[in-house]
Amino acid sequence: MIRILLVFLIVFFSSHIMAQVALDSIQRLDEVVLSDVKLTRYAKGYKVTVLNDSLLNNNRVSFTDLLRFNTNIYFKENGYGMVSSPSFRGTNASQTAVIWNGISINSQLTGQTDFNTINTTNFNSIAIRSGGGSVQYGSGAIGGSIHLNNTLSFKQHFDNTATLSYGSYETKNISYLSSYSNEKFSVNVGLDYIDSENDYKYLNTDQSNENGAFQNGSINANLGYVLSNKDVLKLYHQTFIGEREFSGTVSSPSLAKYEDQNFRTMLEWSRFGTKSYSKLKVAHLQEHFKYFGNQNSDNFTFGKVNTYLINYTADIDLLKDLKLKPIVSYNYYEGSGSSFNNPNRKEFSTTALLLYNPNEKWHYGLNLRQDVTSGFNSPLLFSFDVAYEVSNSYKLKLNGSKNYRVPTFNDLYWQPGGNLDLVPETSYQIDLGQEITYKSVSFNLNAFYIKTSDLIQWKPNTTGFWSPENIAKTQNYGVEASLDVSKKIKAHQFSLQGNYAYTVSEDLETNAQLIYVPYHKANINLAYAYKRMSLFFQHLFTGEVYTTPENLSGIFYSVEAYQLTNFGLNYQLFKTNSQQIDISLKVNNLFNTVYENVAFRPMPDRNFNFQIQYKF
Amino acid sequence: MKKIILSMFAMSLLIVSCSSDDDATPSEPLGAYEDGIIVSGEGGPSSITFISEDLMTSENQIYFNVNNEATGVYLQSLGFNDDKAYIVVDAGTITVVNRYTFEKLGTISTGLTAPRYIAFANGKGYVTNWGDPYDEADDFVAVVDLTANTVISTIPVGNGPEQILAEDNVVYVSHKGAFSTNNIVSVINTSSDVLTTTITVNDNPDEMLVDDNGDLVVLSSGKPAWTGDETKAAITKIDMDTNTVSTTLEFSDGEHPELMMYLNGNLYYNLGSAVLSITDDATAVTSTPLFTTAATTLYGMAAKDDRLYFVDAVDYTSAGQLFIYDDTSYSLINSFNAPVVASKIYFN
Repeated sequence: MIRILLVFLIVFFSSHIMAQVALDSIQRLDEVVLSDVKLTRYAKGYKVTVLNDSLLNNNRVSFTDLLRFNTNIYFKENGYGMVSSPSFRGTNASQTAVIWNGISINSQLTGQTDFNTINTTNFNSIAIRSGGGSVQYGSGAIGGSIHLNNTLSFKQHFDNTATLSYGSYETKNISYLSSYSNEKFSVNVGLDYIDSENDYKYLNTDQSNENGAFQNGSINANLGYVLSNKDVLKLYHQTFIGEREFSGTVSSPSLAKYEDQNFRTMLEWSRFGTKSYSKLKVAHLQEHFKYFGNQNSDNFTFGKVNTYLINYTADIDLLKDLKLKPIVSYNYYEGSGSSFNNPNRKEFSTTALLLYNPNEKWHYGLNLRQDVTSGFNSPLLFSFDVAYEVSNSYKLKLNGSKNYRVPTFNDLYWQPGGNLDLVPETSYQIDLGQEITYKSVSFNLNAFYIKTSDLIQWKPNTTGFWSPENIAKTQNYGVEASLDVSKKIKAHQFSLQGNYAYTVSEDLETNAQLIYVPYHKANINLAYAYKRMSLFFQHLFTGEVYTTPENLSGIFYSVEAYQLTNFGLNYQLFKTNSQQIDISLKVNNLFNTVYENVAFRPMPDRNFNFQIQYKF
Repeated sequence: MKKIILSMFAMSLLIVSCSSDDDATPSEPLGAYEDGIIVSGEGGPSSITFISEDLMTSENQIYFNVNNEATGVYLQSLGFNDDKAYIVVDAGTITVVNRYTFEKLGTISTGLTAPRYIAFANGKGYVTNWGDPYDEADDFVAVVDLTANTVISTIPVGNGPEQILAEDNVVYVSHKGAFSTNNIVSVINTSSDVLTTTITVNDNPDEMLVDDNGDLVVLSSGKPAWTGDETKAAITKIDMDTNTVSTTLEFSDGEHPELMMYLNGNLYYNLGSAVLSITDDATAVTSTPLFTTAATTLYGMAAKDDRLYFVDAVDYTSAGQLFIYDDTSYSLINSFNAPVVASKIYFN
């Protein structure tokens, strides 16, 4: 497989390519419209890849699938649509941070984000920042962070997009996006509802996914108002309400059901000065889950956390080539749940980001952060990054950092077992990146090393229940390569995007590969557009993962490697200056591959999705 | 693999074709898994391991190897009756197999909710069911027609019925209390299939056995300290003629044994990974261990023919271990790989 890919890439490389400089959509975003300036300005030595809105809105897929097919991140999904946890560079799900407009939205209960509870409707861009980012983004940004960004443009416009889709397993999806602005006022709203029986057949058996139906609705609304020529006020809001049946395994049915309710609201006031630019953010986040072991009964367990945060930051031009960005932030978390009383946590953090650009070729970044948290001591965090433009087409990037993950509410307060003596996990890493851009080809190669200690692991203790302890030490190292090629011949447009990752993630005591981390993962996306028609192929290779620490192969010890292909076709039915209708058909799992992502939890067979989109 | 199945199939044909006038010749083996130790693991994935009696061979995932399907979430326990074994899975099914070949014969898949253990009396099967673990009033014992493999009736019982033991057509059920706690042993008459009485013991009764004196011995773990309401563990002996408690031997605070086995008049129990024992006529429990097993997480034990068997659930994700000790020298005889979250040991 890999060999075929390589041959394929070489063929592509050797073909003649026309000039067209690929512009990073995010780099062009004005400070006015983006809430998270750190991501573009203070990450010069980091690999940041952007999935822009055309990808997000044209082929509506789950967030998990989007990232699975377009990035190096590996997902462990408990059956389609069920709990989905990422592994970024071989780290675990609670070491991957999800950032919404600059603030972390990882669960305070589990420390992670279930990627099937994130709806990507109405995000203008999703950025994937590889490597440690705890200094800037707080707990959990160890393997990397995934950034959901909303932008507000104050250019006069009024656009609407309505999308309807219907697919296999009675999957119905409706979404509506509307965006309006004049010089003073900007608003955009995205509404989305999806409902699926998700009762796919388990290939090669006479069973099907009996208890896997899901439905969710989300609102994603953002407002901006220009108060004066110096002040802009913005309001961001996201609501996600979902209900899922939790499917069982191939040999056991399940009756479980899970409800998610997430609300996020942030108010932001930006002020532009002559030498500085400051922002004040206040936000409220609420996460709330209910778990029904048996959906036919009224008994459930629940967990709920309210997060209140206030954050002040300024971008100061100390000198022409030296920028300083201090950040102070205060977070207050209050939790409640079936398994603990009503714990709360307070967190005060101070951060300083320094950026030095002596000339066009060199960028240096130095960042420091110290948190003061109730309940445990947080380490002093740092990061540095350097970017050097060797030539117009060759760039070197180096970054190193110390990152952390704080114990969660579950870790600290779960009854029984919660351990108040836990300390944060700490992690050191270094990452060297190379970027080659030549005409319309860009190639990225990164090598990284991560060493994490004091990993929090739940273990049965001598008194007969589970309790978390700071015990494990791990090291991860590997390489990531990605290639982007686009080519235009008259009315024909071709593009190719491929990623490959080799990841070693081992327990330092046993030297065994951690469970559910594939050594190899690769994907390739091919797209072709001609006049009103476009089509794409996606192919994914996921290597074998071990499911037990012994690193043995076989159905009881590992999940087999698999390859998966999707195919899509889009046709512009109708287009005028102000209106456009597109119809598209997507075939997932084109070759009807039998595969599992988690042991004994089969994934869907070949399935279809038909979509009609109206823009006006 | 196919070959093994075929040879088994051939073997089973042989067995079927054996007529009773072959009695003079040594009997044919009944199947690959006759005479040996069976270890089940809760999972996931759950599985069953077989170790031959001479400890020379072992085979993991025997059910999967024979039937090419997994055993489910979570494999709670096995029950044996005549030439059949019953695999009880929490998710609500019991798979019936030939106990010597492990070929699947059928399933009992309706009428069970969170089944735990099965026992056999009066030609019927009796299965303890938690029902909805959050509902403390819907627990029951299911009565199974062993020919049709169907649940024919249910006997409502107190919360959290756990282990079940049949003695002279009377069935005894210990109530550990599912997700909460309980302190009773239910007694069921298998002629009328009704609950005749309940016997109060210490909190969280689980393991039961019948000792050489003919008493029913029940191990109650008590409520651990973390509940904020610690109660004492105890070994309770019940006179099965009168269904009353004859002896209660209580443990000190902080001691909460969870496992029990019996061999040659010695009653063994655990404290963590340590093994202790008392004799039938002991008037108090002991806190002095005989020895400490090599198990990280001692999760099950059984005894037979001068040997003590222990399963280790390790960290609940790695493969489990089976440790075999000599019952007098307490030296380790052998150890084997066992299923993930290895929990139960049976002798075939």
